[in-house]
Amino acid sequence: MVILAGLGPIGVMALVVAGNRLMPKWLPIMIAVWVTIVWIATGLYFYHDITHGKWYMWLLLLVDLIAAGSAWDSIWWIREHQTIKRLRYYVWWAFFWLALIIIATAGNLVLAWLAIEFSTLASGALIVEMGHRRALEAAWKYIVVASVGMLMAIIGIVFLYASLQFEHMGWNTLDYSNLHAHYLAISPIVRKMATILIVCGIGTKAGLVPFHTWLPDAHSVAPSPVSGLLSGILLGVSLVTIQHFVAAVPLSSHVFLSGQHLLLLFGILSVVVGTLALLVQKDIKRMLAYSSIEQVGIMAIGFGIGTPFAQEAVIWQLVFHAIIKSGLFYISGHLSVRYHSIHLPQMSNMFQRHRGLAVTWATFIIALAGLPPLGLAYSEWMILYGLWSSHLWVILALLSLSLILGFAALMHHLLGGMWGRTNQPEDLVGIAVTGGVSHE
Amino acid sequence: MGITALIVFIASMGMLLVRNVTHTVWLLAVEGVALSVMVFLSRPITLEQTVIGLVTIFIKAGVIPFTMNRVTLTWPQAYRTDRPLPWWGYLAGIALVLSVTHIIHLLSPVGIIHHRDLFFYGLASIYLGLLQMISRRHVLSQVGSLIAVENALVILAASVAGQLPMFMEFGMLIDLLVAVVILSWISRLVHHQFNTTDVTVMRFLRR
Repeated sequence: MVILAGLGPIGVMALVVAGNRLMPKWLPIMIAVWVTIVWIATGLYFYHDITHGKWYMWLLLLVDLIAAGSAWDSIWWIREHQTIKRLRYYVWWAFFWLALIIIATAGNLVLAWLAIEFSTLASGALIVEMGHRRALEAAWKYIVVASVGMLMAIIGIVFLYASLQFEHMGWNTLDYSNLHAHYLAISPIVRKMATILIVCGIGTKAGLVPFHTWLPDAHSVAPSPVSGLLSGILLGVSLVTIQHFVAAVPLSSHVFLSGQHLLLLFGILSVVVGTLALLVQKDIKRMLAYSSIEQVGIMAIGFGIGTPFAQEAVIWQLVFHAIIKSGLFYISGHLSVRYHSIHLPQMSNMFQRHRGLAVTWATFIIALAGLPPLGLAYSEWMILYGLWSSHLWVILALLSLSLILGFAALMHHLLGGMWGRTNQPEDLVGIAVTGGVSHE
Repeated sequence: MGITALIVFIASMGMLLVRNVTHTVWLLAVEGVALSVMVFLSRPITLEQTVIGLVTIFIKAGVIPFTMNRVTLTWPQAYRTDRPLPWWGYLAGIALVLSVTHIIHLLSPVGIIHHRDLFFYGLASIYLGLLQMISRRHVLSQVGSLIAVENALVILAASVAGQLPMFMEFGMLIDLLVAVVILSWISRLVHHQFNTTDVTVMRFLRR
């Protein structure tokens, strides 16, 4: 299945090589059309699995959907950023997409680990392609911090493999199904150590607090179509990898710092830190990045609750968040170019100046804030109900308060931008822009 | 095998102490050779083992040091020197290495450790690599520390699992190779744009 799903990114690479020679002007459009075809074909080919509740197929479909959105947005974004080296951009982009597909569909812990590691390198290279100082610093921090996290995770994986080596199954030892079938053969202390290392290690890539330090920088300076993939997909599928492991190698909930405890702890920390940071953000993409930390925290809490109902809520949360957040990142890139700035206070009177972008932006922000009848409202209510049913009162109270604060922060930023006072010189507005975004 | 692991441990200590990043690159090459020798010393020698040994020496003792060395050669001497290890680094290093004996004491009853010496050298080298990462400021010192931790991981894996599946070994090697190539590319850009090789200065100069 991974090989079949991997044909999409390989096709992009082939298009980069062939299309650039034959029809260079049409390359971005050809790639976008190809990715859309792959998305539709994935839906049709795996229709049976998708309609029969195999949720990892939903993840694959989601990855392809957001990738298609990213490919279409790349056409617009590349026109606005003429200095970007197109071919290199698309090669790294295809590698990144491939890594995301593998993470979403991997049934093996070490395969998922390798794919997450490669996703860091591909997306790090995409950030470097931006070329400015902030991008370099962010890419450096991202690759180093994420690599250290992933090294921690692989130590845990090696311990698991060592414990089950007697099976002589090679790397298939680390299939989630095999791990679950034989987890009792792993001594409790090794299971506990591996759980801490893997949850913290892959949690670094999922953006869980306190391992999130790379995230606001990396997501805010990456090319906007890539930020959409980073925030919408990568965080979610990394968290799903953690959940696969925690479910496959469970520790009793009575054990201190079990997988579920860690997910609840890091989840609520992420929600609180993400929400508080949302209140004070001035950079449009940084605001979205902190919102992603908050959202991934909510998902971690859902997985930490551990009931089937809460897990279903997380999958919905993941799907809604991926669509909403990727859309917001795409729009934020274009708004930054329109206003020649990444600063929220300078993006004012949006509704009158860029009505199309403003309406879409407002719709997505309202959806992100969790206002019914838009999707996140339901999945968040489901997670709150899961906390209520499991009698996790402190987390329930903190999450409820954070959701209210997050709602207020997003509305504050939205209303200020829609109708706030103009700080922008008139002559800058509406001018065709070729990548002159200020990163000051 | 114990001797080769000891060499890696000493090289990790050396990397923590040396200030010239060119020396760091040489120490990484030494680690690469030691790890390849360790693969060839393991029994039984199979075709799989031979291939892993050859690829290890090619990547870890060849391509990676060569790539890093090429980067340093483009810089004037002043940019090849790291700050000295802070005083707390020595204390932390000693404490971390000593703590490994406690972990061995904890894990011994479980029966997961097959080779105590290798486990000690492997875990101690991982700790020293991580300490190097947080205590050193030079861009290439940080790249070196990532490679050192990965090298130490190979020893740790050998102490508990004997050998890892070929897929894992190759995956990790290729991952390391790509990481070093990208980080070396970034190091060159950092020096070019920031006119420094100090990662802490980057934060203040980024505007």
